[in-house]
Amino acid sequence: MTRLTSKVCVVGDFAVGKTSVVERFVSNHFSAKYLSTVGVKIDTKEIEQSALGVTHKLVVWDVAGSDRFGDKEFAYLRGASGYIFVADGTRALTIESVKTIQSQIGDKYGDAPSVLLLNKRDLTAEWEVNDERFESLQASFNGAFKTSAKTGDEVEDAFKRLAQLIVENELRGK
Amino acid sequence: MNDLDQLKQLLFGAEKQALDQIADRVERREVRTADVSEVLSEAIARSYREDEEFVESLTQPVGDCLRRAFRDDPQTYGDALYPVMGPAIRKSIMHALRNFSQQINEAVEHSVSPQGLKWRWQASRAGIPFGEYVLQKTMRYRVEQAYLISRENGLLVGHVHHEASRIKDSDAVSAMFTAIQDFVKESFSPDRTGRLESADMGDFTLWAVHGPHALLVCVIRGMPPKRLRTDLTAVLERIHFRYGEAIREYKGDTATVPEVEVELERCLRFEARAEKAKSGRMLPVWMIVLLLLLLAAAAFFGFRSWTHAQQLASLEDALRAAPGIHVTDIERNGSEFAVRGLRDPVAISINDIAASVDVPVERVAAEMQPFQSLEPEIIAARAGQLLNKPDSVQLSVVGTTLVVSGTAPAAWKAQLLDDFRMLAGVDTIDLAGLADETEPALVTVPKPDTAQLLRDRLEDLNERRFLFDEDVRFAADHAEALERHAIALRQLQVDADEANLSLVVTLTGHTDGLGSPAANTILAERRAATALEVLTRADVAAGVAAQPAAVTAGSESRADPQRRYVQIDLQLQEPPEVL
Repeated sequence: MTRLTSKVCVVGDFAVGKTSVVERFVSNHFSAKYLSTVGVKIDTKEIEQSALGVTHKLVVWDVAGSDRFGDKEFAYLRGASGYIFVADGTRALTIESVKTIQSQIGDKYGDAPSVLLLNKRDLTAEWEVNDERFESLQASFNGAFKTSAKTGDEVEDAFKRLAQLIVENELRGK
Repeated sequence: MNDLDQLKQLLFGAEKQALDQIADRVERREVRTADVSEVLSEAIARSYREDEEFVESLTQPVGDCLRRAFRDDPQTYGDALYPVMGPAIRKSIMHALRNFSQQINEAVEHSVSPQGLKWRWQASRAGIPFGEYVLQKTMRYRVEQAYLISRENGLLVGHVHHEASRIKDSDAVSAMFTAIQDFVKESFSPDRTGRLESADMGDFTLWAVHGPHALLVCVIRGMPPKRLRTDLTAVLERIHFRYGEAIREYKGDTATVPEVEVELERCLRFEARAEKAKSGRMLPVWMIVLLLLLLAAAAFFGFRSWTHAQQLASLEDALRAAPGIHVTDIERNGSEFAVRGLRDPVAISINDIAASVDVPVERVAAEMQPFQSLEPEIIAARAGQLLNKPDSVQLSVVGTTLVVSGTAPAAWKAQLLDDFRMLAGVDTIDLAGLADETEPALVTVPKPDTAQLLRDRLEDLNERRFLFDEDVRFAADHAEALERHAIALRQLQVDADEANLSLVVTLTGHTDGLGSPAANTILAERRAATALEVLTRADVAAGVAAQPAAVTAGSESRADPQRRYVQIDLQLQEPPEVL
């Protein structure tokens, strides 16, 4: 098995549930206090991609959400192999923020595999994203998932999808 | 109230009353406060459980509250923190004092050793204090871990560590260090050119060496010297030379940087100086000094003991050689010598003997009993005292003869001839060397009592018979009896010689009546000869003639054990002439 390590950044607006989503997925993680001090939290997760013959370790950078995605936050994204964009399905405006950041990242660092997580799907009554919108979002990213950090729905699938995209990207690069 | 109001009252009276109560509840602040207070703690707990961003949202306001509270009322918070701060401060001070003490110990340890003297000279040449130079030389450190991190993405390119080092997820550590690096750069370096190069964490120091494509981060235990950064830079340069392009393009595939750990292993070789290890193997200075002192003490006491032993041997030899002194016991008690024995009053004193062999008199304790010695020197000395010897006369003793020489008045000489007999151990007097009007002569007068004593002893020993079994074999016990008799005869002979008399010993062999007369004569002669051999072994042979006889007259021709013997006859004879 080939060993591969990739940097994955989790980006999203304030209070969309980024940290909760990451907590659902990762196994090793630092204390959350780094989020409020340094502005980023590092976690890791190893995934066996047997079909591709790769043991894939994801180093997940959970970048703190804020009103403004500044230079410091962009510095954290440098060299990422993929992105997890997280938006709040009950607050459609957060999707626009994500798209803006995605655009800025593309301009700054170039294209990289990315998936969108529309979080808080367990709050169905307050869900603001209809199916048509969801379809269009899937096209904008390399995949979109309706996730729930509370129940864990589709969180793992989203990360694995991104990992697969990264490996494929790497293999193509070779 | 009109009809409409009455109708409303009838239809919605109860609902309106409820609405009014709600409105009242909403509008009245104290009621709202009471409602919120009921659920506030539960709401906080639930929010904290369900969403970690609750902490984020509280961090800033709570921090501000604390800052303001500390600023406005430092005394209260100081009192509250006192139980925590006290032990922490004490621990910190103890740690600092321990380090300080260790530094002083090292400085003292190196101050008198050859290495210390060399360092002192080097410190003076370098123009820095000796203590500081010692610290530089004795710093201990070890590179515990080395991380090679991609500058582009923070991914870990390689990682090595000592086996004993505790490590967490090295990929996460690498990423977190990169994040902190970015954080510091963005936060504190306006032009973003600054970079984090070192950090202190308790016993560890973290050093980062920056290359074009990679970052070498080393976790170092202890205080590293500045030159270590040069060494680490060389390692990073070598890595860039070998893997520069691969690191620049690094995307997490370690296969693109084969054996990079081998290069990183070089970092782990940097550790405590060899000099320190060597000094650890050397004996401490105080121990060397102590050993030298012990050796000096052992040499001193060993030499002193040897000297005392030599003095004891010299003193013992001198005492035993001194006439008139008989030592029965001599021993050393520490530095003193205890002597016990006999001493003639005219003999030389013990102290004089000690002084003659360089033994301090005060270290000699003598317990000597008086006795009268018959050694010639002592007899002569005693004679000088008793005879009131003139200065012109010299006395000496040869055997039992008092030899007088020099010149003396005739009266003293006459008195001398009367008085010399009082001297024990003196039998005769030789006046040949004494100048006088009279003809010098040696007068030898046997003492009457001595001659008589000899005759008495002769009577006791005379005509002894010693039996034989058969042939020339002695009967039981008679061989031993003859040996004892021979010793007594020898003593008698010596005494007789001293008395100027001669002892004549005659052995006569006898047989019983068995056998022919010719054979018995031969047997009698052989028995006498056998007895003669015993006497000869005891030095009694001189002047002795065997006179074996044939069968005694009148003997019958039969076996008779009592007639198988040798008889020894004795006789004292006067000397042929008396001077």
